[in-house]
Amino acid sequence: MAEGSPTKKPEQPEYIRIKFDLPRPYHWSTGRYLGKLYAEAKENKRLMANRCPKCKEIRVHAPTPVCPKCKVDMGWDWVELPQTGTVFQYTYQVYPLWDPHEGRRCSNPHPPAIILLDNGVYLRHLLEETDTKKLKEGMRVQAVWEEDYDKRGQGFQDILYFRTIEE
Amino acid sequence: MAERVAIVAVAQTKYHPNRADVNEGELAYEAIKQVLEETGLTLSDIDSAVTCCQDAWDGRTIASLNLQHVVGAHFGHEFTVAEDGINAAYVAMSQVLSGHHEIVLVESHMKESQGDKSVIENAAFDAILMRQLGLDFTSAAALQARHYMDKYGITPEQCAKAVVRNHGNAKNNPLAQEPMDITVDDVLGSRMLASPIRLLDTKPVSDGACALVMTTEEKAKKLTKKPVWIVGVSNCYETHYLGDRELADSDALVKAAKKAYSMAGINDPLSQIDVAEISTEYSYQEPLWMEGLGFCGRGEGGKLVDSRTIEMGGKLPVNPSGGVLPGNPNGVAGMARVAEAVLQLRGEAGDRQVKGAKVALAHGYTGICGQHQAVMILANM
Repeated sequence: MAEGSPTKKPEQPEYIRIKFDLPRPYHWSTGRYLGKLYAEAKENKRLMANRCPKCKEIRVHAPTPVCPKCKVDMGWDWVELPQTGTVFQYTYQVYPLWDPHEGRRCSNPHPPAIILLDNGVYLRHLLEETDTKKLKEGMRVQAVWEEDYDKRGQGFQDILYFRTIEE
Repeated sequence: MAERVAIVAVAQTKYHPNRADVNEGELAYEAIKQVLEETGLTLSDIDSAVTCCQDAWDGRTIASLNLQHVVGAHFGHEFTVAEDGINAAYVAMSQVLSGHHEIVLVESHMKESQGDKSVIENAAFDAILMRQLGLDFTSAAALQARHYMDKYGITPEQCAKAVVRNHGNAKNNPLAQEPMDITVDDVLGSRMLASPIRLLDTKPVSDGACALVMTTEEKAKKLTKKPVWIVGVSNCYETHYLGDRELADSDALVKAAKKAYSMAGINDPLSQIDVAEISTEYSYQEPLWMEGLGFCGRGEGGKLVDSRTIEMGGKLPVNPSGGVLPGNPNGVAGMARVAEAVLQLRGEAGDRQVKGAKVALAHGYTGICGQHQAVMILANM
């Protein structure tokens, strides 16, 4: 192989190896606002978002005490989001993504998508459809919830993915 | 300094062992809302925000993630600094002096309850040379305490007196976490953690936030009748490596104090400063830091703790608020000292007020055995 070829392996430096294996636990709080979203998803399979009293914009990701745009206190005004929408954009990955729960790469076949919900707000989620030939922008989709109550409690992830629907 | 920079409002949350009910942003917003209400400002009036939080404590890179909205920084100007909020105040002051920003919001928060303090502190040590020793801040502080006490004959009773006074002063501070009537014997009888540091020689796990608004002289007069001026500020770092430091003498603090004093025209701190708020996470640090601040000579910190000089009603009351020992989080502690100094100079410190205070000192530090030291001098005229 020629010198400088991209396929040539570079010479490995000599490493000093130190093993660190200290668990680093955290107890993050959802807080009041995100806590409302988690509770409604777990208890009622409802997707909630909060609304700015001034611009009336709905904050989907994620509920917040201050409107980023108007910079005013959001108060406590909640709206329930519809569970059907249209695929606005999607992608699919051919390399495995990180599974942060397991600390290794894993192959998630569900394509990530931005879905325009029927009330006009955008939601980032996954699509059930894995056949790339069948994926298209403008597809109609509906949320599929985790039905096991004990497995819910993961916020947005209580929706497993969005399923293609015929209308 | 060329221009004068004012602090026009300060606020702190009540300090608490576990604010599981709020996330970092909501905690910060509790303090921020108060300074907005006091000044009549809205988040749209803020030209720049300087926040202080730490990735390892918040458990994510870019710790300020939850703060952007509550400091009004969406499509706005935000700086995040680590270590202590007193550094954030320093950066904010520079921004006002630069002429680039008129109204700067400063915020610091910490939820110590959400991580494992000892594990996070171990990660603060140099990974290759020091982390493997297994130290955390308390075990490292114990090395410093023992060396300092041996070198100058500082007694455990003197350190315990600092604990008793601080917890007692905290009874006058409605925001304090652990106001307590305790005795020297209680401290000396509490559980040993790392000799000579016992449980009551250190502070409890604490959650809290602090906010303040800084601005120009011209703007300050429109926003408040009681501006407080920053008349001196400095910080100084010494080496991270404990073996390369003289742990019994806090030379970084000596240097930081000298610089801040020279800016403020102070040559006799004990006479010229009316009230001091200093950050001490461990009891031995009170005499040691007071030596560094020049309140007494080297090795004389123990005697100063014994005297009435630093008590309420003394020549220089130290920590009328109770300081850090009754419970302030890392990262907020030093900025809370600035906030307390401001309250003193505005005459708004309630039962902990030092009458007629005109010049106040706020001290913050971070890092292992006080590697980083910061001093701010404030005045109300």
